[in-house]
Amino acid sequence: MNPPDTTSTAGQPASAEAVFRVRNLGKVYGSGHAAVRALAGVDLDFCAGELVVLLGASGSGKSTLLNLLGGLDSPTEGDLHYRGWNLGHADESSLTRYRRDAVGFVFQFYNLIPSLTARENVALITEIARNPMPPEEALAMVGLTPRADHFPAQLSGGEQQRVAIARAIAKRPEVLLCDEPTGALDVHTGITVLEAIQRINRELGTLTVVITHNAVIAEMADRVFTLSDGRIQKSGTNTRRRSVSELTW
Amino acid sequence: MSLLDLKLLRDLRALKSQALAVALVMACGLAMMIMTRSLILSLDTARTGYYERHRFAEVFSSLKRAPKSVVAQIAAIPGVAAVEASVAMQVTLDIPGMVEPATGLINTLPERRAPVLNRPYLRTGRLLGSGGRNEALVSEVFSDAHKLRPGDSVSAILNGRKTELRIVGIVLSPQFVFEAAPGAALPDNRSFGFFWMREEELAEAFSLEGAFNTVALILAPGASERGVIAAVDRVLEPYGGLGAHGRKDHPSDVRVTDEIRVLRGLSFGFPLVFLSVAAFMTNAVMSRQIALQREQIAILKAFGFTNRQIGAHFVKFALVIVAVGTVTGVIGGALLGNKLVEMYHIFFRFPALDFKLATGALLAAVLASSAAALVGVIGAVRRVAALSPAEAMRPEPPASFRPAFFERIGIARWFGVSFRMSLRNIERKPVHAVLTCAALALATGILVIPNSFRDGINHILNFQWDVSQRQTVTLSLVEPGPLRALADFRALPGVVHAEPFRSVPVELRAGNRTRRLGVSGIPSGSHLARVIDANDRRILLPPHGVVLSKALGDNLELKPGDTVILRVLEGKRPERSVPVAALAEDFAGIAAYMDMEALNRLLGEGDRINGARMTVAGGSWNEFLAAVKNTPQSAGVVIKEAVRASFRRTTAESIGLIQMIYLTFATAVAFGIVYNSARISLSERARELATLRVLGFTRGEVGSVLVGELVILTIIALPAGLVLGSFMAKAILVSVNTETVRLPLILTPANYAFAVLVVAVATALSAALACRKLNQLDLVGALKAVD
Ligand SMILES: Nc1ncnc2c1ncn2[C@@H]1O[C@H](COP(=O)(O)OP(=O)(O)OP(=O)(O)O)[C@@H](O)[C@H]1O
Ligand SMILES: [Mg+2]
Repeated sequence: MNPPDTTSTAGQPASAEAVFRVRNLGKVYGSGHAAVRALAGVDLDFCAGELVVLLGASGSGKSTLLNLLGGLDSPTEGDLHYRGWNLGHADESSLTRYRRDAVGFVFQFYNLIPSLTARENVALITEIARNPMPPEEALAMVGLTPRADHFPAQLSGGEQQRVAIARAIAKRPEVLLCDEPTGALDVHTGITVLEAIQRINRELGTLTVVITHNAVIAEMADRVFTLSDGRIQKSGTNTRRRSVSELTW
Repeated sequence: MSLLDLKLLRDLRALKSQALAVALVMACGLAMMIMTRSLILSLDTARTGYYERHRFAEVFSSLKRAPKSVVAQIAAIPGVAAVEASVAMQVTLDIPGMVEPATGLINTLPERRAPVLNRPYLRTGRLLGSGGRNEALVSEVFSDAHKLRPGDSVSAILNGRKTELRIVGIVLSPQFVFEAAPGAALPDNRSFGFFWMREEELAEAFSLEGAFNTVALILAPGASERGVIAAVDRVLEPYGGLGAHGRKDHPSDVRVTDEIRVLRGLSFGFPLVFLSVAAFMTNAVMSRQIALQREQIAILKAFGFTNRQIGAHFVKFALVIVAVGTVTGVIGGALLGNKLVEMYHIFFRFPALDFKLATGALLAAVLASSAAALVGVIGAVRRVAALSPAEAMRPEPPASFRPAFFERIGIARWFGVSFRMSLRNIERKPVHAVLTCAALALATGILVIPNSFRDGINHILNFQWDVSQRQTVTLSLVEPGPLRALADFRALPGVVHAEPFRSVPVELRAGNRTRRLGVSGIPSGSHLARVIDANDRRILLPPHGVVLSKALGDNLELKPGDTVILRVLEGKRPERSVPVAALAEDFAGIAAYMDMEALNRLLGEGDRINGARMTVAGGSWNEFLAAVKNTPQSAGVVIKEAVRASFRRTTAESIGLIQMIYLTFATAVAFGIVYNSARISLSERARELATLRVLGFTRGEVGSVLVGELVILTIIALPAGLVLGSFMAKAILVSVNTETVRLPLILTPANYAFAVLVVAVATALSAALACRKLNQLDLVGALKAVD
């Protein structure tokens, strides 16, 4: 079973069509005594072009949910559909294809390849993507054109994270998943990174899910979900989405 | 158990396959060391005990004939403790069930008393009775080869008279621990054997009553062997003495000594290489382990653990590996040693050759491998000590990379990103890359050595014998005879071609170095006996001068153009100074060649021959052999194919077995090295590779990034390894080659191809195993941690 072809829909303006359909989703790590329930009974729909923020205390299951959406892990119960395709029951190789074609990841610790320059880190992905933008264009979107030929060790944390974003969006993914993208950065640098994410979301219409501990950041989102003990405790829709430049914390 | 030890156990479990790989390499080195050392001990102990109990003589001499009264003269030489004189005669045998004739050397035992020296050991049957007619004892090797038992008979031609010898006992003798015909470099236990008869009986048959033609003696403590030998030579000179010699020139003892020397060489070279590899591998594993545990170490230090405690923790880690390696190595070495001791029974006959575990070597082995592991671990532990806790708790600064050299010169444009990643990784850690490359080269190199042994043997078997010796059979006369005796040989049924040869005992002297041997006279333009040089080209024997085998030339420190003093040890005993015309290449013993006419001229006794080399038509083979069996003047028959078959059966097989053992070890070590390298590079790049997987790279693609570096290093290492292996093979050959058997250094494309193939397969398998590990990588986990 293969993931659906997404090239036709990628880049379309926001529509009400659900990209992810999640029903009664649960995840238990381990078994027996050592079993840990990380997620339970989660229901939600994410639509194309949305910017969603996940909030919640440490250990509440945010990363678990994001990893399930990103095809890094499989749920132990419930349904998880991506554009009608049963992502929750996909095998390893279709998950790889799904990640390759549809998902862009941004992590707290950047996870750049230290032996490749900024441009090459991006090019690495565009080489295997089906409909990529040139690496230079992706780097331009995050404002890093002048640093394209530097190695990660020669870049600041914020710059490294922006390279990671460029890498994530260069393949024009259907969804962009960011797990605490500003967690390791100071305020000022954090803002430049969030601006880059917002710009991608607006200009490419990519469904973007951002995990954060910072409630202020939630104001830039279309919708906000708060998790607690593996369940959705609260969900809300921002009537007015703020631009990152308006945020203060 | 302390919690630190619990951590040790868990770390070991996580690293078990790598720890096992290191232990395996160590075990191979130790097994080799224990095996060879134990064999040396077993052989040495058996020999010493045997020689003592059976009173093996220390100085030996043959002569034409001397009256018994001369024995007292020898006994009177200062420094001589005991003397035994006897008669020894070479005869042609007719063994039931054997088409071709065999040769026997009949020794005698004194009447009515036990021999003072060289006492035989009775295996079965009984010793000779006094006054029994035609009773004989036979050596065990020969009786084994023909399934002879007490009560069986063999017929021998004693001085032209066919005599039935009745075997009463099967014996061993300290003189013939290794049995080969006198002068023959290689044993052929089917066609040559030792016998013993009553002295009076044999002397009577050869009209040697009251005389002897061989003498052996032992020295008083502190006596000078050289002095006694010179004195014996003076006494025996008028009686046709062929020159006395000590044990170091004794054909049997020298083989045992040579074997021990070979083992000594092997007990050092191979283990040294393997243990160095093990040290390197320990270092690689431990360095990686410590790099991975940087933060853990910092925490331990922050909580007050001392450098010593933490250092000890990692040293223990290495010692566990040593323990596993040692136990495996000792057991393996003992088992293999036991097996090889059995094999030695083919060559060396002792009353008992028991396997003796070399406990001294065992201790040395434990020390050596502990030292190897400690050398491996010490550098890594020093780095732990140098780490300040505060610094260590911060993640290691991101590695700084730069475009690789190949990119800077513009070549790498043609390669993919993953290839570039590999290149940059290699260039960023040049020392690491060089060491890995060196280990891989070693893995390739050690594979070349055992196969070069095999190819050397095949070269001897298939090439040298056919090129230099082309006769089917060699017949020798009891005594040198006139050239017209050749006509009798030609008249034997089926003889196609016959060429005479001359063989004369001589002493060669250059400076203060002397050697005794038989110089071979070969007719000019000989078709059957050809002297070959190092480049496989034929050497034409010059009308003047002598051609020496390379081993003899080296021994006497002579090269072409030098002169050597040649003293004949029979007849008129002339002494001449002759030029060394060339050095010949051969593979066994020492030899000197002269043009037959030149040799006869030098002897001044007219045209005489010692026998003939012949080719015999296949169809008449049986008739030919039957005729030879009944030729009274023939004293010995050497059938080339029989010698070759015997060589194949014994020497070749034993070297083959040892070669198989070494090859197995070398292969195991090669795998260990390659696998370890793959695992370490997997560990170093786990996070990077997990990231690639998350980003949507398939397992295959990520695997190729991992394997890329290994492949690049392997490709660099292979040619270097072949060169290294060739040098190591040469060094080991030089160290184990002895005068008695020399293997030529033969390096074939097939040998190289095999080494490359094994390393390539090891690389492929290790890569596959590493890729399997890669598939088990916890993607989410790798993203959480900053390693
Ligand atoms: N591999 C695992 N094995 C066992 N339990 C796990 C594993 N990964 C996560 N958990 C547990 O699942 C729960 C949810 O973890 P998760 O990482 O999703 O939390 P989070 O909301 O992302 O927290 P944080 O804000 O600290 O990152 C936690 O209780 C955690 O201990
Ligand atoms: Mg998390």
